[in-house]
Amino acid sequence: MSFLGVARYALMRDIGAPALFRIMEGRKKRERQIPSYFGPPMDSLSELKRIMMRHYYLARYAEGVKPIAWVTSGAPVELLRVFDFYTIYPENHGALCGARRKGPELCEEAESRGYDQDLCSYARVDLGVAFSGKTPVGRLPKPDLLFASNNICQTVAYWYKVLAHHWKIPLIVFDTPYNFDEISERNIDYMIRQMKEMVPLLERVSGKKYDEGKFKDILLLAKEASLLWGEVLSTMRNKPAPMTIFEAFGHLAPIVSLRGLPVAIQYYQSLLKELKDRVDRGIGAIAQERKRLMWDNIAIWFKVKDFSHLFAQRGMNFVTATYTNAWAETTPYMDESHPLESMAKAYSLVILNNNLNHRLRLMERLIGEYEVDGLVVHSARSCKPYSVGQYDLKRLLLDRVSVPSVVIEADITDFRAYSEEQANTRLEAFFESLEARQ
Amino acid sequence: MKLFLGLDVGSMSTEAVLVNEEGVVLGQSMTLTGSRSVVAAETALLHCLAGAGVERESIVRCVATGYGRVSVPFADRRITEISCHGAGAFALFPNTRTVIDIGGQDSKVIRMDKSGKVIDFAMNDKCAAGTGRFLEVMADKLDVPLDKMGALALEARREVPISSVCTVFAESEVVSLLAQDHPKEEIVKGLHRSIVNRTWAMIRSVGIEDAVTMTGGVAKNQGVVKLLQDKLGRPIQVNEEPQMVGALGAALLAREA
Amino acid sequence: MVECISMKQISIPTRREYIERQRREKDWRIFGVFPAFVPKELFWASHVLPVEIWDPPLTTTESNAHLQPYICSVVKLGMEALLQGYGRDLDGLLFPHTCDSIQNMASMVHDFMDLSLPCHFFYHPKAPYTEASKWFLRGHLQDLATGLMGGDDSENRGSEMSPEILRPWVDQGREIHALLAELYAIRASGRLNVSNACFYEKVRMGEYLLPEDYQGVLSSLLENDRGAKHDGPVVFLSGILPSPREILVLLDDLGVRVGDDDLLACGRRFKVQTPVGENPWDALVEGYFSMPPCSTRGSLVQDRADYLLEAVERCGAVGVIFLMVKFCEPELFDVPQLTRILKDAGLSTLVLDCEVNQALSGQLATRIEAFVETMRSR
Repeated sequence: MSFLGVARYALMRDIGAPALFRIMEGRKKRERQIPSYFGPPMDSLSELKRIMMRHYYLARYAEGVKPIAWVTSGAPVELLRVFDFYTIYPENHGALCGARRKGPELCEEAESRGYDQDLCSYARVDLGVAFSGKTPVGRLPKPDLLFASNNICQTVAYWYKVLAHHWKIPLIVFDTPYNFDEISERNIDYMIRQMKEMVPLLERVSGKKYDEGKFKDILLLAKEASLLWGEVLSTMRNKPAPMTIFEAFGHLAPIVSLRGLPVAIQYYQSLLKELKDRVDRGIGAIAQERKRLMWDNIAIWFKVKDFSHLFAQRGMNFVTATYTNAWAETTPYMDESHPLESMAKAYSLVILNNNLNHRLRLMERLIGEYEVDGLVVHSARSCKPYSVGQYDLKRLLLDRVSVPSVVIEADITDFRAYSEEQANTRLEAFFESLEARQ
Repeated sequence: MKLFLGLDVGSMSTEAVLVNEEGVVLGQSMTLTGSRSVVAAETALLHCLAGAGVERESIVRCVATGYGRVSVPFADRRITEISCHGAGAFALFPNTRTVIDIGGQDSKVIRMDKSGKVIDFAMNDKCAAGTGRFLEVMADKLDVPLDKMGALALEARREVPISSVCTVFAESEVVSLLAQDHPKEEIVKGLHRSIVNRTWAMIRSVGIEDAVTMTGGVAKNQGVVKLLQDKLGRPIQVNEEPQMVGALGAALLAREA
Repeated sequence: MVECISMKQISIPTRREYIERQRREKDWRIFGVFPAFVPKELFWASHVLPVEIWDPPLTTTESNAHLQPYICSVVKLGMEALLQGYGRDLDGLLFPHTCDSIQNMASMVHDFMDLSLPCHFFYHPKAPYTEASKWFLRGHLQDLATGLMGGDDSENRGSEMSPEILRPWVDQGREIHALLAELYAIRASGRLNVSNACFYEKVRMGEYLLPEDYQGVLSSLLENDRGAKHDGPVVFLSGILPSPREILVLLDDLGVRVGDDDLLACGRRFKVQTPVGENPWDALVEGYFSMPPCSTRGSLVQDRADYLLEAVERCGAVGVIFLMVKFCEPELFDVPQLTRILKDAGLSTLVLDCEVNQALSGQLATRIEAFVETMRSR
């Protein structure tokens, strides 16, 4: 760790990042007109951009100054924060690349090195970034540690193994047994033991000592941010909903990648305030909310913008999603008086680590609570744990709660796997069936 | 006189090459394969013999290669196109270390060592994109003679990128680009770029070493050759009749045995 | 091509006949088990015959209404078998946690299909292993055994399985692994006078035979030890299944001998070292962790590479063929780095994308032939 590196990091954090943001904001003044089918834009968006931009900007200077970890979205990051790791979330970065239509280009960097085109595109994008160094955010710092949990899928473990071999750095996989039935005591104990066994390696890589008090504090911060996120989502129960799920996909970034840090709490407090204010004044995300929809699976990142227009034009608002709900769902399990046990539960009981009956019940509950008229199912080629079973869920939901749905075969970041014609045809049919139901 | 016959029975065309004991080419012919490989092989052989002015009995050994190699009843040995294109390219250009063969329905990249032995290869035989068929389909759609496509591509100063990876989807894309009044040559250049990109991906999987030789029918397309040269950043060698290289290699391997 | 001469003396019933006979005559319960790692000893000890479902000879029709096109054919065919009513002949199912697709298929079958079959789950711990992994596996195996003893239903727990009940079956398992180890060693040294196709046909019978019968098959195979080394180029197989069978027949026709394998369905599960004399539960756990590295268990790439290089050297292989099943995520992530290491070590490598139960296409045959031509010329 060099003195120069530390000084440069501090300089960028205190002066560089704010200055850069002011320049970006200055450029933004020449904004396009907001179409009339949208409600007034939200102010919080600007703060969100500042936070995430700052996060990626400072990341460039963190190498050699702070211990760096690349982390999966479902990993118990609260433990890492005790050791002051600078965390990078390749999935969040992948979403960003997908939204900027850089998916195929980065995937090709991995494919040309032998990675099959049918593998998860978050992984292909990230491996492409690791092998080539290319990224739209300038530079991603090389990690000292890879920290994954297989609660969201097994693929993250396969992917992070490749990175571990490529960089010859340690890999920790938090193994969360799948809940075929109810979660068992043995599973919980297994996860607690794993967390305890991780500590020596985390101390070695970070050069810092474990501190139980600090861990509990961070847990409280994470819990509070999660609770706030849950409240943010709940505002969309109102009619009209003050926000759309497409916007929520963006507001998701802090709870995923900055969870456990004070900035996430501050952000969601201000976002919640703005949303409550809109609810009080009857302001909706779209001008005319005629139909309320639910989204299933991760976003089609390269179509979020187009879809938000497409649906808003028809007076259709996405008011809930299983994906955004995932970071609020298990918060009730978090308990700072039993930190490891509650973390084990909170991380094991996420939607993708539970059986499909659980998911069916969850979807039914959301449909009821948010008064959902229709469901759009994104069959994501990249994401097998989310996608396998969707055809059955679709049928069951129609039978049990009479909710019509449409399946869009697409991908999270690779637009080569998306057919505009096919999707539009299916959506047209879906719109017709929605309109036919009064 | 002892002669050696090489037959390359492809899905579109069949080539025959006759060489003597010194490895000198005495005759060659090409015919369309049609629906019966056996008949095509026999026809190609007869034309070849007639052209060389020799009798069938002079043929000591025959190697068949290509998609239809198993259907040649009089072949003494069957060897894959990989080894045959390698042998043929090496005979024509002994400095060859990498062969790029883009044929009618498949494409391959072959790596060789300095003694002309194949050490690695990659094949794209799953779909038409990146092969001669792709160009045929597009030439038809654009109403451009196939043998003029390459020159047209090189005329264009700009190009329209084609995003579809599949030939069928790319066809629809071309139709819609024409409807949007994009100049033909720009579309054609974009299509050639697609082929080059597909080929590049295959090349990367086995690596590349100078000198590079291109074989197969698509090597006659100057557009593909030029764009590929630019992409590789190194010159590409092509003989006068790149479609014959497989059969030539087969004949030379027949002689070696 | 070489026939397995000594096999002709044994009259071998078909898989279906064999299974039916065990149920009818000896009262065995029959459980369908999905790929890949299954603690069979627990089943035998509960008087259950576990029959593995890797590549049933079916065409996928029904399963396309439930599974997307980008799901592997092993899962599709497994689901197809159940949808076509194969479950009628079964008393239960076991799903190991091999990958995301099998995980979700297990839930679809258990939660959504109306099969009235008890479903059991085996969650094997994933690498990188820690002390907790061993602790967990031991307890999980015991829980699974209790569930199997229960008989009717995974919720209706039976009594615990005592070490006395388990021990003889662990011994049977150990005997099988010893025979397999000997068979693989003889094959690696070039002394086994058996065709590639015949070899895999016989060793795959372990997917449905009871231990004693399987030991009989393996013992007969061992009689084909000719004592002298076989000539010809040697290839090493990795990937998932030795399938389609025509690939093995083609290698036989080309005079290429398979020296050893690291296939998920075979080598990776056969090479188990179960210690003697310990508590049978501890023995099972030790055996599990002694298996070769595997992508479905999370083994690190370097561990796999080290294992492969050593195995390749021992059997004298000059080339490695990866027999992949299309869409198989775990294995596909390992392949690029592994082939790089193998190539750097001077080996030829070939990666074949196969659909289970599809005939050998001309393209696939050409690739294999070209690969063999490449190997030969080194």
